[in-house]
Amino acid sequence: MKNLTELATPFASMTPELGSDLAWLKSLRLKALTQFNSQGLPSKKQEDWKYTSLWEMAQQEFTHQVLTSDVNETQCDELALLEDSHRLVIVDGTFSANLSKLDDLQEGVFICPLSSEQGLEQAQPHIGQQIDISKEGLNGLNTLLMNDGFTMVIAADVKVDKAIEVLVINTGVTTNLATHLRNVIVMAENSQATVIEHYATLSDAMSLTNVVSEVVLSSDAELNHYKLQQESSNAYHIATLAATQGVGSRWNTSSIALGGKLSRTDVHSKLMGKQSHTTMDGLYIATGEQHIDHHTRIDHLVPDTTSDELFKGVLDEQSHAVFNGKVIVHKDAQKTDANQQNHNLLLSRGCEIDTKPEMEIYADDVKSAHGSTVGQLNEDNLFFLRARGLDEVTARSLLTHAFAVDVLNRIPSETIRTALSTQVEKHLPKSGKA
Amino acid sequence: MLEIKNLHASVGGKEILRGINLTVNAGEVHAIMGPNGAGKSTLSNVLAGRDGYEITQGEVIYKDQDLLSLAAEERAQRGVFLAFQYPVEIPGVSNIYLLKAALNAVRKYQGLDDLDAIDFLTLVRSKLELVQMDEQFLHRGVNEGFSGGEKKRNEILQMALLEPSLAILDETDSGLDIDALKTVSKGVNALRSAERSIVMITHYQRLLDYIVPDFVHVLSDGQIVKSGDKELAKELEKTGYSWVNKEA
Repeated sequence: MKNLTELATPFASMTPELGSDLAWLKSLRLKALTQFNSQGLPSKKQEDWKYTSLWEMAQQEFTHQVLTSDVNETQCDELALLEDSHRLVIVDGTFSANLSKLDDLQEGVFICPLSSEQGLEQAQPHIGQQIDISKEGLNGLNTLLMNDGFTMVIAADVKVDKAIEVLVINTGVTTNLATHLRNVIVMAENSQATVIEHYATLSDAMSLTNVVSEVVLSSDAELNHYKLQQESSNAYHIATLAATQGVGSRWNTSSIALGGKLSRTDVHSKLMGKQSHTTMDGLYIATGEQHIDHHTRIDHLVPDTTSDELFKGVLDEQSHAVFNGKVIVHKDAQKTDANQQNHNLLLSRGCEIDTKPEMEIYADDVKSAHGSTVGQLNEDNLFFLRARGLDEVTARSLLTHAFAVDVLNRIPSETIRTALSTQVEKHLPKSGKA
Repeated sequence: MLEIKNLHASVGGKEILRGINLTVNAGEVHAIMGPNGAGKSTLSNVLAGRDGYEITQGEVIYKDQDLLSLAAEERAQRGVFLAFQYPVEIPGVSNIYLLKAALNAVRKYQGLDDLDAIDFLTLVRSKLELVQMDEQFLHRGVNEGFSGGEKKRNEILQMALLEPSLAILDETDSGLDIDALKTVSKGVNALRSAERSIVMITHYQRLLDYIVPDFVHVLSDGQIVKSGDKELAKELEKTGYSWVNKEA
């Protein structure tokens, strides 16, 4: 076992199996190695990491040597968010063909593990295009060590018939396992799909999941892209979702962060085509000593683009959450319409939220609004419910739930909304006496 | 049903109620009228169990129990209902969910099982008719985006469903136009019965034209200074409240 820096450094001997014979990937990894060697893990001195310390994680020892684990179909079905979906399953960092359900894909829908020859081939032109390994945290490390993930390519005018659930399971059979996944989603003109990245653990073993998803939306493409993170309270989870959007395209994201000891999710969209739109939502529920950090960025680069961002958080006990949302309206991006909101509900005195909504506007004809709130449950509402006979615990839970599901109500599919809502309910604090 | 004896209550050290005495028997409708600042809302909040009021003297007996020792929800479960002056909006909690949770809380106290979905809906529909509300209101957030009149009708809907023993209507007429006032009054009148007592708190006599009380009390400066029948309300309408303080 080695700490992350040691795992990254002796690259020559530690070469991930994936694409070790491919020159392009080798050179990309070497570039990432140079970056990582010069920068290391991000520290709190960097503005983007001011409130999230990776120090403890850096002290941990991790392994890439996976022991054989045994996940059966029943376990997989129980974990899965959706019953009726196309399903790609990754167990302990490696694609599982047995557990995946990818046999009835319609024409024009390509979904493959990154570790397959085709998967890597289709991903090649896009890998590394949406992220900047010199800047963004652990993306360099991910580039260096990525060993699986998925590639999804949807052909022009194809509307994928069912939602695609990518279920990433960490069994805990291998303790201290570090998993580095890279996902690529390419949506051709006028295609439509719904993807759920779902991260779950089967035990309380310490682990690290480090994932990067790169998305390309061609003109008029629409991708509903949800991420559900419900790993164990000993898990470290670092993720980046990044997209480039063409004319008239829509990227609707929602990051639901419920688990993990420490999690950090970066979401970044670049609106590069007119009439393109990003919905960037998130919901985090932190209890115990959980630390949940979201950093988001939306770049309005051309005229006539819109974005709508809503992040909500519920914090209890000694938890700590961070929201840092940046919307940048570039010089030529006239007629931009951007809305960004972050609302937080604090249920105890011990919890902490650091929220920073930011807008940088360099165009002069722009409609924009942003704001953030931090508050407690409304006492008038609480009294009203109690005066209708609901006991205090029930009334508090009900109001907390109402606050949180607001975010999920923006998800158009009722099936997905209900499934996510059920998971959220499991994590909502029940006691909640402020 | 309800006996208030020498009730004194303070907010933040300031005494608002200064010795209220009132007896309400089953089946009676009482109106408590008074100028602003007389303590009308304090009285309704104290009876319903809102936090933030200090009871310095006196007691309130409801159905042979010490009402003031019960939590707000325990009072509600035992049949005390407060119709709010300013009903709150709760986005994210649907009206139908609230109605079901409230009804089941009362039924649980009474030792009854939850109503099944079909019986519940049948019951709710009959009550909707009473207050002339469309079924779509059930699926909206509690009072979310409701007009003033719709909010008050929603309060009466909750009351009709819960069938309380003691209903306290706090300024139910405020902010209502004449049509809404008639609808709300019709709903309240339909609930009058020999087993149910109603206490109406109001600034204006107008409401009493539609819900005719058995007794009228004048509250001033934290005390009931005059009691009578419905004629007292008419007298107040003519002369205003200025004489009350002088006489007291």
